[in-house]
Amino acid sequence: MNSDELQLKRASKAALFSLLNLTVLPVIGFIILLLIYQKSSSDSIDHYYSVIGIKTNVFAGIALLLVSGLMILLGGFDSPWTWVYVVSYFTFVHALFILFATWVLVRSWTGEKLKKNILSK
Amino acid sequence: MMKYESQGVAKLYFIAAIGLFTGQILFGVVMGLQYVMGDFLFPEIPFNVARMVHTNLLIVWLLFGFMGSAYFLVPEESERELYAPWLAKLMFWIFLVAGALTILGYLLVPYAQLADLTMNDLLPTMGREFLEQPTITKIGIVIVALAFIFNIGMTILTGRKTVINLVLLTGLVGLAVFFLFSFYNPDNIVLDKYFWWFVVHLWVEGVWELIMASLLAFVLIKVTGVDREVIEKWLYIIIAMALISGLVGTGHHFFWIGTPDYWQWLGSIFSALEPIPFFMMTLFAFNVVNKRRRDHPNKAAVLWALGTAVMAFLGAGVWGFLHTLAPVNYYTHGTQVTAAHGHMAFYGAYVMVVLTMISYSMPLMRGQKAGNQKAQVLEMWSFWLMTVSMVFITLFLTGAGILQVYLQRFSEDPLPFMVVQEKVALFYWMREVAGLVFLIGLILYIYSFFAKGDEVVFAED
Ligand code: HEM
Ligand code: HEM
Ligand SMILES: [Fe+2]
Repeated sequence: MNSDELQLKRASKAALFSLLNLTVLPVIGFIILLLIYQKSSSDSIDHYYSVIGIKTNVFAGIALLLVSGLMILLGGFDSPWTWVYVVSYFTFVHALFILFATWVLVRSWTGEKLKKNILSK
Repeated sequence: MMKYESQGVAKLYFIAAIGLFTGQILFGVVMGLQYVMGDFLFPEIPFNVARMVHTNLLIVWLLFGFMGSAYFLVPEESERELYAPWLAKLMFWIFLVAGALTILGYLLVPYAQLADLTMNDLLPTMGREFLEQPTITKIGIVIVALAFIFNIGMTILTGRKTVINLVLLTGLVGLAVFFLFSFYNPDNIVLDKYFWWFVVHLWVEGVWELIMASLLAFVLIKVTGVDREVIEKWLYIIIAMALISGLVGTGHHFFWIGTPDYWQWLGSIFSALEPIPFFMMTLFAFNVVNKRRRDHPNKAAVLWALGTAVMAFLGAGVWGFLHTLAPVNYYTHGTQVTAAHGHMAFYGAYVMVVLTMISYSMPLMRGQKAGNQKAQVLEMWSFWLMTVSMVFITLFLTGAGILQVYLQRFSEDPLPFMVVQEKVALFYWMREVAGLVFLIGLILYIYSFFAKGDEVVFAED
């Protein structure tokens, strides 16, 4: 395996663990993502995808945990309305992050960067 | 533009499907209003009748959609004309007349009288959600289904066999076989519920997934030019995952109906895996579109195909998972959370996959490669109007459901059902508004078939 192929492999691994961190392997997925990031040299495709993965997950952490936490704090644990907002918000926004990470994963398989729009080539 | 002339019978089926779809949505918005204005259209159209018409029209038009899709897909995949096009036409009219008479029966005659009139006593099968049809209608459905399966089965068996048409055939045979459970109506209500779910659950979370995956795969091959081998590998995994998770996953309906406790474990664990096949379909669709070899002039069809993958994942995968674990379902069972999921899942998976097939095939049956520029723009607008309003319907019902669960089942001093319904009325109003937007989207969709405009210029070929 030459170094290009190795990088590509690591890039899709990074995208995969970004998705896994959002779904069935929270925290563990992120640690592995950090390890992939560490091993990559800047300017390489695996670097590119691990940075996207880290950004996505940090952003998701803020958008999901922090915002939901604030909703509970401000709305009050015992208010039904808090849960109306928290559950609907969390479910929907979480799903959007998963969909985004899925699309990134698919892009990483081609070895190209994100940029290109999925509807026009 | 069609490869085989007999594919054209699909057009009849699709037109009927869209007509009945419109009826379904009209009754939906009537009911949505009845939710907040209880006596609207009473006694002409009581809520229970409207509900039956809404759900039965949904099932019937989806069946028309599946049959039309199969009649279009199978000749092309099998590389031969349909075995008996005349039979497909005959069955169309029989099914349409039987369907229309049944709906008229619901609307014009009190249900109990309809049961008498159709001699339900001889073989009682009526009175269960989604399966309200008089026994004679059910027998009609079986006859139509058998003739249909014979027709496409013979076409496939005497023609080219592909993974796509064999998966489709398996799914359709499964659909027909599981429907037979609707003829068994035991007195024991627990047993009755088992068999009811063997129809409803094993359809939408079993064999219909096969139908969906094969239709999606067909359209994706056509619009992207991606190799069949790639697509076939995906199909195998999706189907395996659907059946592994979906069969025992039926247990998520056996938590609280007088069944043994072990169902809480079996149902929770296996149904928790059910989002996987839906997720795989999303991954599959994204991947194939990403790897496409050409830009097909029918952009609207590509949009529908991607939209199906995404919305099925949201409705079935995410909103299904939301309430599928027994400790959660203990609270949410039979609330508006269920209705939220039911709407988005049915729309995202089965409504959208049928509309994807229609979007791809209708222009071909009308002698064009793709709809004209204006028609496609309108169709894409209707896509967004219907899809976004369905997202809102789902979110509003989810909100209503959570509030309902809290006030009625979770809080220290639970409130009675009807008191709670008053408190969540705001959500029902918002659902109704979203429903009206959905209706506007649908009208635009129908209009798009008649729009005139410039032909789309092809990127290549
Ligand atoms: C496209 C596929 C699906 C469709 C069309 C669908 C549709 C529906 C509908 C209409 C109901 C209400 C049935 C009734 O009581 O009248 C329902 C219930 C339910 N669905 Fe689905 N569903 C799908 C997939 C899933 C998946 C994948 C899961 C789990 C991950 C799931 C979990 C559930 C559960 C737990 C209930 C029972 C809710 C209750 O206890 O009230 N569904 N589904
Ligand atoms: C393609 C779009 C639609 C689909 C696939 C669909 C599907 C369904 C299904 C499966 C049910 C039974 C739910 C259950 O058993 O939990 C249902 C019930 C219902 N639908 Fe729809 N529907 C659609 C559009 C609409 C619209 C636009 C409205 C109105 C705003 C609407 C209003 C209702 C109402 C009020 C019920 C009765 C809920 C109850 O019994 O509490 N639907 N629909
Ligand atoms: Fe189910």
